[in-house]
Formats: sequence, structure tokens, C-alpha cells
Amino acid sequence: MTRNNPQFSILNPQSNILSTMTVAFAHISRSFGTNRAVDDVTLDVRGGEILALVGENGAGKTTLMSIAAGELARDSGEVRAEGRVELVHQHFMLVNEFTIAENLALTRRFRFATRRALEREALATVAAAGIELGDVSRRVGDLSVGEKSKLELIKAIGRQPATLILDEPTSVLTPREADELFAVMRRVAAAGTAVVFISHKLPEVLAVADRIVVMRAGKIVAETRASETTASALADVMVERRAPRPASRIGHGHEAGGGTTIEGVTFEGGQILAIVGVAGNGQSQLAARLRARLPSAGHIPEDRTRDGIIAEMSIAENLALRGVRNAREIITRYSIRAQDEQQKAGDLSGGNQQKVILARELDRRPHVIVAAEPTRGLDIEAARFVHEQLRDAAGNGAAVLLITSDLDEAFSLSDAIQVIYRGQLSARMTRDEAAGRVANLMAGVA
Amino acid sequence: MFDGTVKAIADAIPLAIVASTPLLLAVQGELAVQRSGIINLGIEGMMLAAALAAAFTAHATASVAAGFLGGIAGAALVALLFGLFVIVLKADQIVTGTAINLLAAGATAFIYRELHLTSALPRLAFDPIVPLAWIVFPVALALLLWNTSFGLRLRAAGENPDAIASSVRSHRALALLIEAVLAGLAGAYLSLGLSSGFAENMTSGRGFIALSIVIFGRWKVKGALAGTAIFGLAAVTQYTLQASSGLSYHLLLAVPYVLTLLILCGVAGRVRAPESLGR
Amino acid sequence: MRRLAVTLGRAFAAAAVAVLLLALSGAAFGHSPAELLGILVSGSVGSRFALEGTLLKSVPLLLTGLSVAVAFRAGVWNIGAEGQFIVGALAGLLASRWGVAAALIASMLAGAAWASLATAMRLLRNAPEVLTTILLNFTAIHLLGWSVNGPLRESIAQYPQSDPAGVALPVLAGQVHAGLPIAVLAAIALWVLIHRTREGLRLRATGFSPNAAEWAGINVRAQLARAMAISGAVAGLAGGIELLGVTHRLFERFASGYGYSGIAVALLAQLHPLATVLSALFFGALVTGAGELQRTANISAAVATLGQALVILTLIGFEHVRRNRQSNR
Repeated sequence: MTRNNPQFSILNPQSNILSTMTVAFAHISRSFGTNRAVDDVTLDVRGGEILALVGENGAGKTTLMSIAAGELARDSGEVRAEGRVELVHQHFMLVNEFTIAENLALTRRFRFATRRALEREALATVAAAGIELGDVSRRVGDLSVGEKSKLELIKAIGRQPATLILDEPTSVLTPREADELFAVMRRVAAAGTAVVFISHKLPEVLAVADRIVVMRAGKIVAETRASETTASALADVMVERRAPRPASRIGHGHEAGGGTTIEGVTFEGGQILAIVGVAGNGQSQLAARLRARLPSAGHIPEDRTRDGIIAEMSIAENLALRGVRNAREIITRYSIRAQDEQQKAGDLSGGNQQKVILARELDRRPHVIVAAEPTRGLDIEAARFVHEQLRDAAGNGAAVLLITSDLDEAFSLSDAIQVIYRGQLSARMTRDEAAGRVANLMAGVA
Repeated sequence: MFDGTVKAIADAIPLAIVASTPLLLAVQGELAVQRSGIINLGIEGMMLAAALAAAFTAHATASVAAGFLGGIAGAALVALLFGLFVIVLKADQIVTGTAINLLAAGATAFIYRELHLTSALPRLAFDPIVPLAWIVFPVALALLLWNTSFGLRLRAAGENPDAIASSVRSHRALALLIEAVLAGLAGAYLSLGLSSGFAENMTSGRGFIALSIVIFGRWKVKGALAGTAIFGLAAVTQYTLQASSGLSYHLLLAVPYVLTLLILCGVAGRVRAPESLGR
Repeated sequence: MRRLAVTLGRAFAAAAVAVLLLALSGAAFGHSPAELLGILVSGSVGSRFALEGTLLKSVPLLLTGLSVAVAFRAGVWNIGAEGQFIVGALAGLLASRWGVAAALIASMLAGAAWASLATAMRLLRNAPEVLTTILLNFTAIHLLGWSVNGPLRESIAQYPQSDPAGVALPVLAGQVHAGLPIAVLAAIALWVLIHRTREGLRLRATGFSPNAAEWAGINVRAQLARAMAISGAVAGLAGGIELLGVTHRLFERFASGYGYSGIAVALLAQLHPLATVLSALFFGALVTGAGELQRTANISAAVATLGQALVILTLIGFEHVRRNRQSNR
């Protein structure tokens, strides 16, 4: 397995056929603010081949492919594309009120058409794509998620692209639907199209891909043929293997079997439980359900700007929402960098905003705390502060649930770990147990 | 007594059709715009501006046909203002619509007084507007919205703009243009066809009634026709019904609004506005 | 307090631009802008009579402005102040047999109830309140029409109006009645509510970000319901005061647009209750001055309505410039 960037070449010495290069990336970089989403990536995509782009969330896969599809600009480097590039997104871009036929018609140019003509055209397009979709006069809103996925795929294939990119296409499919999808992908690739398959699910990737490229933190860290690797090996590269860190908390009380279980999560006072997983596996839904079930718990929302802070109100007012009155003292105690307690919360940096949210939720010493991605987007100092607060809360007896996709964070803070994958929680593991298994569990490997 | 009521209603139908023609035109225009995702409260102001513009143009050119074109121009001016604020500046649609209505009410009253239009206006030789409004436009609008690519994309703009990302603004602007033409004709017909000139606030809330009918008719052309017919009939038969059956016509006038409220509450099946209406 | 200063600054600018545009419109038809402005000023504040007229006209505008401001602050589109005004006056008339206080309380309750109809439809059936409140406006208008032509018609049955109410608000000076201090008190009370109480904090939070408010433990649905009820109550009070202080009878065109003008008043004050007092005075002056314009210069008094529109559009323009400047920082 090669760990360095592949050569920019058309003739691939490892394959027997002369494959056409459809998209070529040369030293592509793209940042969002201080975050280097894509870091000096050189890669080529070839016709007739299924390329799997694998990695955790934030690895840069979607960003890279958005650049290929022309939906996102690059900061530096060159990208060349031969022929059309179609990107099928993770979220649907369908009109639910329209029929299948009308949704397909949106991709075409026509002047005037009767309903029957549209349906005839739609049937032809569906047949040409070789996918089964049934009655095209049905309202898209009534379709199952699997059928909607098929429709998006048909839309893309109908445009006859040279490169077809599928972004996490199986996240909403049943195993049988996934198999149908793979059959379509193989057929399309055999016809000469370049198929790129973005996923974090290794079993599927190994089943269908010809070539696998692993990304981590914006860089390509591995490239191999599917036949020459295993899920375990890939998981190792995808997710840096971690040795269990020594417990950095003192005096945590282990209450043997004294916790309450809600929504599959067992809360034990004085303990920090971390739920880890690649983003998009049901974490947001779990947090929302917990918020509904535990209204008096302290909740740190995942989306700080939309759900956490009210930007137009002052720090004092944001704190007062939960009855926290001593704003000035809080600012000092939490080292919040602000002019005074009257400053608008929206003017603060992300780290300071998170401190306000923490103060608001933790100051009343709730028995349960649910923190979702609490250090996302924060610098080291702010992240360390958040961790301290959570540790202190647990030290004082609270049951803390930490939902995170950051394994470093999970391992350094928690007493126990569960992995969430496709909405299902794994068994509860100690940190030692988890160290060996977490990578595989996150990638869907048993 | 029952016979008398039925006859009264039957006699009123031709009058109702003519009298509610401006309303029907406004309903169709607002339907197109709402289908594209915009709620235009300012249609009342559009019609009022058109009424004055038509009266002024007909007076200045001594031609009814020119008057109707002037009405369209007046409505288009208002549509331009509304579109500028709502589509370009992305201002709030409700607030802007309300402002447009206030603007038109104030401006038309003010300008009318300054213009001193005294002499009688030319009358229509024959009335093409009624068949246009009740037959030609509904058919054309239905075909446009449901059988052309333009209409498909316009409706997509009102349901899920993401599905047609690039052309949302242009489709909404064109929808406003369609509304301007229809509202322009409506206002012109009010001042040139149904009355003998402009009068302050002559639209009398027809724009808001049109909004109600669009919902009542569930954003479909057939519903627009049916709804306008019902509202129009109710308005016209108020006098005759009061005489023959003693029912208070004021309560009768309220019935269409109450019906629309009930429809909004899903009493007669689920009512679904275009998904992205107002956003 | 700094926020209040910024609010007032923007309000002055918008009002000035609107008046300027009005003057220019007059110029377009051959009137001298200076003369036009002069009449506006003298007709609104130039004499004791004018001043009284301005204060008189400000009262309903202040209250409908407050009504709209409270609702908008909570993120609710209450376009129904017109209907709540009417229903408030109806209830006030019916309860007037038990005295002024009873009548005003009844008008508040009726206004709150009418607004809550729209809230119920939104919370239970997802009916958008922007549409239901407008429909309820028309329902109220026709309810009024039926009342003054039917059950509430005056005993001599000559015109479609009601008998005068049994009681009236005491007159303070000239044309000004006790409704003015009541309205100002209402403004202060609402300011305290919105800016100095826990309920007001929750209300504003809900208006700024319903998502974040929900996460901070606020029951957003209940909050919206309460905001609408308060909004309706204030609009209903406006109707009751207009009845007992000015018209004394109910008749068909009773509301005449106060509900919609309230939107302009609220927006000029940028939804701040205390600033609404000044905003209402401005629009009251505009209406009174425009009346004078019509009497002396034969310019339609409807320029007051035009002025309201210009203020709103100018404010939208300012908002756009401000948003752009923020994103370019």
C-alpha cells in the first residue's frame, strides 16, 4: 500500500488497460478561514474505474469533489476535467411536490409538453440509466428515501457525464438498495464513466471499489487497489490509532451500576461517557431527543451560532436566559474576552461564545450534562478550558455525555466510550477496550 | 321564497362575472407570483396605481386602448419597486408589500388631486376584457405554469429553490411581470370599464380579497375561477338576498373570509402552500 | 441606553428622508417645497389647536404601533391590528354600561382573544399568521358592518352607526382626552415588560432566534402565544380608547387603517416601545399637518399615508446598507 501521492499519469502501470483521465487534480488546496480543508492534493480520476474516496468527516473529501464539479473554487493548484462532471449530493435537491417525471424534466430544456409526454420522456430516461423506479407519475414526496436516491442518480446519469461523483450515497439506503446501487455503479463504470464514491463505510468500499484513496485532515495519506488491502488496514490509516491516555482526572467516583438509561445512553453520576462517530450517523438526532427528554439538563448544542448563542443579545442577557445573573463575575471566572457584560454575544470569538454557553448551562450545576461537539472550531486554549469545565462538573458528581467526532478529545476525557454508527449505539466500552476497536466500529467494520 | 332566492342569484350571474373581472385578473397574477415563492401583499397598491395610470393615459391620449397600456405601465412601475426591494435587496416581503400599499394609496390620492382630470373619459366600444379574463388568460396561465419548462421552473422556485439554484431570481422577476400585466389590466378595467374614472381607494380591498382567493383556490387556476365566482356572486347578490331572505348581507360578505380561514386550518383536506412561499 | 440613541438617530434620519421626498413630490407638481414643509410644520405644531390635533391623532397610532412592535419583537407577523382594533371597540361599547374601566378592560380582552384565534390556527394547524390575521381583519370589518346595521344600530335608526357609548374618557385639554396618558403609560409598561423582565427577555430571544431560545429552555410556542395575546390586547385597547375618547359611536369605517399605519409607527421606532412614543408623535404630526395641507394648499391629505410608506422603504434601504457594511467588515 502506497502512502505517498500517486504520480500524475494517464498510463497506470498497475492496470492493464489504457484508461482515460477524466479529472486531474494537481496540488489543489482550499481553506475555509483558518481551516485547511484540502491540503496540496494531487490525484487523478480515470474512466472505467470506481474510485473510492475514504476518510472521516472533515477529511476533505466533499470539498475536493465540489472543486471537481465546479461548485467550489480552489485556492491554489490546477484542476482539469475532461467531459461533464456530475456530483450527486448527500442531501436531496428534489421538488417534493412534483412528480418523478417533472423532477427529471427540470434537468432538460424543452418548450411545451403535455403531462403524458413528460412521463414518456421520464420512462425513457429511467430505462437508459438501467435503474428501476416504477411509476413516474408519483409525487416525489411520497417516495421512499431509497427511491429518492435512485432519482437523484438517474438525474445525474441522464446528463451523460464523463465523471460521476456520489457523496455518501448509502447513508440512507437499506443493504439491499445499496447492492442495487453498486450494480448500477459497476455498469456505469464498465461503460467508461469515471465513478467516484465518497464514503466512510469500509465494507462497502471494499466490495465495490477498484481503487481506494484515503484522506485525512485534507491530505491524501494512502492509495491502494481494493484487492490489496483490508478493512482493518484502511481503518488504521483513516483514523490514527490511539494509545489510551492516562487518566488525567483525579477522584472520579465510579458508581458501579447506578446509572439511568435514556435513549440507549446510560448516565452515571461522576462519569464522562463519550459517544464517538463520524458526523452524520445520528448524533444530532440523539442530542435532540435527549434535549426533549431531559429539559433540566445542561445542553451544549452542536451548532453554536444557530442553536447556542443569541448574537443580537448581550452576554448578560444570554446568561440570564437560564437565570444566571452574575454576568461580570462569570466573565472573570471563565476568562471571557469581552469589553463588558453588555457586549453583544455575536461580537465574541467562537471560543468566548462557547464559554458563555458553558457558563449558562453549567453554572446552575445540573445533574446531567449533554455536550455535543463542544470544542468544534475552538482554538487549543478554549478547548482546554471546555475540557476542564466538563471534568470539574463530573468531579462534582454530574453525569456528562460527550458527543464528539474528535477521538483525541474522547480518549483524554472519558471514562467510557460508545460508538454511534447509522443511529445505532455500540456496547459501552472502557477506554482500553475502545482503543483497539473504535476505528473499525466507526467505519462500520464489526 | 326559495324560488325568489334562486332567481335572484341566477339573475345576478352576468353582473357578477363582469363586476368581478378585475378581481379575477388580480387573483391570476398573484397566483403566478405566489407559485414562484413570493407573497405580494402589495397587489392592492399595484391595481390602484394601474387604475390611476389608465385614467390619466386615456385622458391624455383620448384612447381607451392606450389607457389600458398605461394601466399596465403603472402596475409595472410598482412591480419594479417591489421586485427591487424583495428580490434584489432581499427585504422582508410582508413589510415591503404593506409599504407598497401605503405608497400607492397615498401617491394615487395625491397625484389624482394634482392632475385635475375633469373631462369624461372615452368609453369602451366593446368589452374584450371579460372573455380574456375568464377564458383566455386562465387557459394560457394554466398551460404556461403546468405545461412549459418555464412554468415548471417557476413552480420549482416556489417549492424548492435549491433544485434550480441559478435561475430563481429571474423566474420570480418574470412572475412579477406577469402579475403586473394582469394587475394592470385589472386596475385599468376598474377605472375605464366599470367606473368612469379614478376615485381614491377605488380598489376597496380587492387585492386582499385576491390573496384570500388564491389560498381558497389552493394555488390552482381552476380554484381561482371557482373562488372568484363565489366571492363575486356573494358580493353582487347581497342586496337582492337581503330583500328576499332577510339574511344580513354583511354577514354574507364575511362568509368567504371565514371559509378561507377554515381552509387554511385544513378543514377541507390538507392545504399546501408552495413550500418556499415567503422565504 | 446607547441602543436607544442609535435607534433614535436612525429614526430621525429616516423621517427626514421621507419628509424630504414628500417635499420633492410636491415640487414635481409645481408646489414650493419650502412652502409645503412650512404648512406641514405649522399645521401640526404651529398652534395650540394644531398641537392638540397632533396629540389626538398620535394616541391610536401609538397603541397600534406598540401592538405591532411587541408582536414583531417576538418574531410574529401580526398584521391583524386593524381587526383587533375593531373588536376591541365593539367589546368596549358593549361593556361601557359598566363604566370606563370595564370598557377598556373588555376591549383589551377582546383584542387579545381575536389575536389568539390566529395563534391557535398557527399552533394547531400550521396556518401562517400573516394570512390569518389579514383574513380576520376582514371578518372583523364585516362583523362591525353587521353590528351597526343590525343589533347595535342606533335607536333612531337613521344612519348605520351605533348609539353613543354611555360613558366617555374625560377630556384633559381642548381636544386631548385621557386616552393619551393611558397610551403613554402603556408604552412605559411595555418597555418595562420587554426590556426589564424575564418574560421580555424570553420574548426577545424567541424573536431573535427561535432555535437558540428552544435550546435555552424556552417554550417557544407558548411564548409566541403570549406575545400575540399581548399584541392583540394593546390593539384592542386602541380601539376602546378611540371609541370612548374620540368617536363615541361605532360606524362602518371605524378603523380606517390605524392597524396598518401601526406597522409604519413600529418600524420607525425600530420596535422600541419608548421610541414608539416619538414615532407616533411624528406620524400624528404628519397626519395633522397633511390635513392642513389639504385645507390651505389643496394637496391631498393622503400624503400622510405616502409619508408612512416612504419611511418604511427608507428604513429598509438603511437596513440593507447596514447589512452590507457588516458583511464587508
